[in-house]
Amino acid sequence: MQRILIAVAFAVAAAASTGATATAQDLQNSLIDIAYGEPSNAAYRPIYERLRQRRVLEELREFLAPLRLPRRVQVKTEQCGKESSPYAPGGPVVICYEYVHALEKFAEKIPADARTARGVSREDAVVGAFVQVVLNQMAHAVFDILEVPVWGREEDAADKLAGFLMLQFGTENARKLLNGAAFFFEASDRTWTGSDFADVRGTDAQRFYNYLCVAYGGDAKGFRDFVQDDSSNRRPGQAGAVRTDLLPQYRASGCRSEYNELQYAFDQTIMPSVDRALLDKVLARTDWLRAGDGR
Amino acid sequence: MSCSERDLGTRRPGDAGAIRAGMAQAKPPSAGIEIEYVEPARAYLRPIYERLKSRKVLEQLKEFLSPLILPVTLHIRTLQCDDTNAYWAGRAEGLKLCYEYIDWIERLAPAETTPEGFTPEDAIAGEFVEVTLHEMGHAVFDLFNVPIFGREEDAADEIAGFIMLQFGQEVALRTISGTAYAYQQQAKQRKLSRSSFSDVHGTDEQRFYNYLCLGYGAQPATFQRFVDSNLLPATRAANCAREYKQIARAFDKTVMPHVDQAQMAEVRKMVILRPDDGINKRVDVKQ
Repeated sequence: MQRILIAVAFAVAAAASTGATATAQDLQNSLIDIAYGEPSNAAYRPIYERLRQRRVLEELREFLAPLRLPRRVQVKTEQCGKESSPYAPGGPVVICYEYVHALEKFAEKIPADARTARGVSREDAVVGAFVQVVLNQMAHAVFDILEVPVWGREEDAADKLAGFLMLQFGTENARKLLNGAAFFFEASDRTWTGSDFADVRGTDAQRFYNYLCVAYGGDAKGFRDFVQDDSSNRRPGQAGAVRTDLLPQYRASGCRSEYNELQYAFDQTIMPSVDRALLDKVLARTDWLRAGDGR
Repeated sequence: MSCSERDLGTRRPGDAGAIRAGMAQAKPPSAGIEIEYVEPARAYLRPIYERLKSRKVLEQLKEFLSPLILPVTLHIRTLQCDDTNAYWAGRAEGLKLCYEYIDWIERLAPAETTPEGFTPEDAIAGEFVEVTLHEMGHAVFDLFNVPIFGREEDAADEIAGFIMLQFGQEVALRTISGTAYAYQQQAKQRKLSRSSFSDVHGTDEQRFYNYLCLGYGAQPATFQRFVDSNLLPATRAANCAREYKQIARAFDKTVMPHVDQAQMAEVRKMVILRPDDGINKRVDVKQ
């Protein structure tokens, strides 16, 4: 049944994309090389096929058309033998089939046709977490290639840049992406002890709250429901029920200022390498996400 | 537009010229630093007040910070806050270091050298330097409109650690060790809860590892002992040179343009820590 749905979704997507062909032709980035590596493990073959058919990397390259890079970078999907292959200076950017497989498993915690208390559907969880990992990995490459000064741990910086980009395509898309990305960290959360904290990445819970905070900081009206109400304005552990799937007020109150800081960093360090005319075209395109994505 | 006019109100999106070009050439005079030891009302804080004064801590800090080309006068005060804190209170109010915080640092320090080799005197002197430089980090980010891509609290730890590592092996080891001790202790004393993870600060455990990692990244030989003893796990240690390099690059690009190089060359000759710093913690002031 799921395979049929996917097939239908791709047929619809293909039909829809013909209308956007003219735009897509304008959006190219000749310095980004893409490749879909064939997995040796048959279990990842459906993921490989699906990503190729959806032209995920081609679209990423179109999305990145405004970025003026001083040198080439390769972006590829492949079987890594582990869930992630962290970006190292010089590249490439690697998206592992194992990670996509894992995020799809987490998404299955949400029953089909249901939504979590914060409104995340299974499709949102897949699309949001997938876009999150792609943008996070690309962010590391951008920091490296553009020699961006990065204060604050690079992993958090990459998450914040990813969240910032997710917010630039309207409230509806932002909600799908940021809520889905946050869900992944909510679902993957585990108890950290001892030297776990030596990780260069923040804990899943920290990353979860960071994504909610970017959303609320950038669009307080659109994401008001991401914040605990006044009556629950107490730290978890204190008396009273607290929804841990929402931002506590003490964090939420600083999110606007965190977002301004993020916007400023983007304007100062990345905008000088962005072609404004192409950026307008990217922002004007409305079919980056399509019905059927994530199914 | 001069450096001093660059503030939030005059920022334009995409205005990266100031950072790219650096503003060292313009060199407007620094607006200077004013220091004050505010007398505490509470008697138990008085020995700390006396000790800071006789050690000339703020005079030395003022000299240490003299290379910064400041857009507004920087006020630095030690005072009773009725709160265990230290904070950057904004351009008008400046930097506030509370006597209560120093009292807390002293109480946190071990009675004798710990099995890991953390000494009582480094625990006091190191953590005092850390909190001062961390808050000065927030000040520098604010005063010079530094772009911060990651989390600002971690960024403030990074700039503090980076500065601790610019004054030779001994200062590096004493300050980073003392700082690591303080976070190790807090990690032991605090129970992690959900709010530990929704906070803008990293957890004490994370900050402990971050400081050791910076030290090891900058001076591997000096900090090798922490890797050998597994206080800094090898998996993280492998990444530390890269992390340090990234911070050094961020400092060069975003802070260095606001530093008077000739004055900095003078400051680099300063004696930052004295052998007895942190030792005579409660008995050196005759009332």
